[in-house]
Amino acid sequence: MDFRPVALALVVSAACQGHETAPAMRHEARVFAGGVAPPAGAPLASENPFRGDRQSAAEGERTFGVMNCDGCHGGGAVGWVGPSLRDGRWRYGGADGDIFQSIYYGQPHGMPAYGGLLPPTAIWKLVTYLQSLEPPANVPTESWR
Amino acid sequence: MTRLAVLTLLAVLPAGGAAQRGDWPMPAKDYAATRYSDLTEITGANAGRLRPVWSFSTGVLGGHEGQPLVVDNTMYVVTPYPNVLYAFDLTREGYPLKWKYRPAVDPNALGIACCDAVNRGAFYADGKIVYNLLDGHTVAVAAATGKELWKTKIADLSQGETTPVAPLVVKRRVIVGASGGEFGIHGWLKGLDLETGRIVWTAYNIGPDSQVLAKPGTFKPFYDRGTELALTSWPADVWKNGGAPVWGWMSYDADLDLLYYGTGNPAPYNPEQRAGDNKWTASVLARRPEDGTLVWAYQFTPHDSWDYDAASEMILADLTVNGRPRKVLVHFDKNGFAYTMDRATGEVLVAQPFVDVNWAKRVDVATGRPVVDSTKLTGASRGNVKEICPTLEGGKSPASPAAYSPRTGLFYLATNNMCMDYQATQATRIAGTPFIGANTPYHAGRGGYMGAFIAWDAAAGKRVWQTTEPYPVWSGAVVTAGDVAFYGTLDGWFKAADARTGKVLWRFKVGSGVVGNPITYTGRDGKQYVAVYAGIGGDWFLLSGDVRSDDPADVRPPADFMPDIARHTSQGGIVWIFAL
Repeated sequence: MDFRPVALALVVSAACQGHETAPAMRHEARVFAGGVAPPAGAPLASENPFRGDRQSAAEGERTFGVMNCDGCHGGGAVGWVGPSLRDGRWRYGGADGDIFQSIYYGQPHGMPAYGGLLPPTAIWKLVTYLQSLEPPANVPTESWR
Repeated sequence: MTRLAVLTLLAVLPAGGAAQRGDWPMPAKDYAATRYSDLTEITGANAGRLRPVWSFSTGVLGGHEGQPLVVDNTMYVVTPYPNVLYAFDLTREGYPLKWKYRPAVDPNALGIACCDAVNRGAFYADGKIVYNLLDGHTVAVAAATGKELWKTKIADLSQGETTPVAPLVVKRRVIVGASGGEFGIHGWLKGLDLETGRIVWTAYNIGPDSQVLAKPGTFKPFYDRGTELALTSWPADVWKNGGAPVWGWMSYDADLDLLYYGTGNPAPYNPEQRAGDNKWTASVLARRPEDGTLVWAYQFTPHDSWDYDAASEMILADLTVNGRPRKVLVHFDKNGFAYTMDRATGEVLVAQPFVDVNWAKRVDVATGRPVVDSTKLTGASRGNVKEICPTLEGGKSPASPAAYSPRTGLFYLATNNMCMDYQATQATRIAGTPFIGANTPYHAGRGGYMGAFIAWDAAAGKRVWQTTEPYPVWSGAVVTAGDVAFYGTLDGWFKAADARTGKVLWRFKVGSGVVGNPITYTGRDGKQYVAVYAGIGGDWFLLSGDVRSDDPADVRPPADFMPDIARHTSQGGIVWIFAL
């Protein structure tokens, strides 16, 4: 895949220019990956059509690398500057449709919207990959000798 | 007082006005970036009696890099994102706030900043506190009232630019740069007007001479000849996303009228996507502050294959090198070599490793180029290249600046003793997303310890003493005329050391790992105070996920190479002040 940088993008709402007369800042804008906004009227499917499909998970894993998801979430989605996606815990909801929406539309703390670059099918396969990662056993205690 | 110190004061006072001898008005205290204080109350004989006199929770977790400022009995503290600016009244009991400034900062910056949402501090000039917000804005705030005077957009988040760097103000110019070496930015330096915030000039670090501001007759690098060096050392168009961020420290020589700063890594980490030297990444550049004109440049790591940013400070000193008095700059590079250079010309006088180095055998001072060990070259076609020293965290992190004492003639710095494997992969540039292309696990270097605090003789290129530490050391240093040096550790100790022997004189557990830079100043009572931030962060809290406890939706295992750091520290955000 070859995504050349697409000229300028979104990101900052006009209010952010910050003069005394500016209205209160709103943080609804998302970063659009590659500068491409997701098409309006996103698919509203709430169930992952590929859930549990190993082939789809493998394709999703490749996309996770190619689309630079690992640059923030770490190789294997273990977490880096972005949160771990394999700990079984979710900031913005872990249901099929919640994860899809986070990838498609982005999230306001820096998660770019990929809906402008990736078709819904590819995003569902990303969801399938993340769902295929077995969360570690929940061991709340860490101890040292 | 040294001549350099006098020059420094002369340079500060016209702009600073209120800055006094015992103040700390800019990140490195002076334009020479020495982090040296001529205060003498605290000495080797009494440092053992230091005690905490005050602390304050910033209310923010995350890496507390940078340092407070002290001007006119007021302490100014900038937090990591969301970049709150606090002004503490040091004349009143308990140091209550005079004001606080809480800017609107776009939270999308959290996903564009590569390595924690840090801020490296503010600069006091002409009654203004000037600093950068993470989301690509520079602000000037009235020091007396906290009122915002101007706010200028300098960087573009959508292209991967964020702005944790501390500005330098000189000759009515506010000098700023942007991070984004991991996002494929087109790195630059800008000069803003101190009064209005207007962007007066923009100088790119890579690209055509017209953008780099390399002008015929003015640009005279010591080793390189020809024109369009920052264009022809790249494949066509690749330079447009070639990195060269500015995220470290700047210094200024008033006699030469030269501003010095280092540039970060080329992008992406996979060097096979960018054949050539990739000038001026991983370089030091010397510019005129008024209009940005480039006067000389030198590249420490040509065609960097290891993420060896050259963002570390350039400390200006007058040293006798090979029997001759020289006006030098001294730079401790991520690549593990310490460089002593003629700061008028860019000639390398001394270049010796200050930690274990194996990617290069030595630096040839005749050509200025490192003699690279070809078995340590990385690239997607070369697979996993094992055992490269130092790691991309650096032999010294640029985030933790060194100090120089003209009394001892020595430089004091925190170092890392670690090596890495480097598996490069093909990377795709997608604006606003990471552009990296490497997996680089770390392990402890020879001896098993991961860090040390050392003293360095930059004229001879020799280490004088070192104190080893179990973990990487990521704090800055300060050294005083009492011959005491201060530094902090990742496991949360703040320490005073004898500047001549390295002996640890005193230590105090500050509640969280130290990645900030200590300062020292005179209080209204005439006493000497020492201040430092505690707040582990930067790469370290990202690597060791178990030092984090505030996010129930993000639970990570310990780092494999330091599995017990969370036994000693967790995230925090505390300003500490100590005195006798």
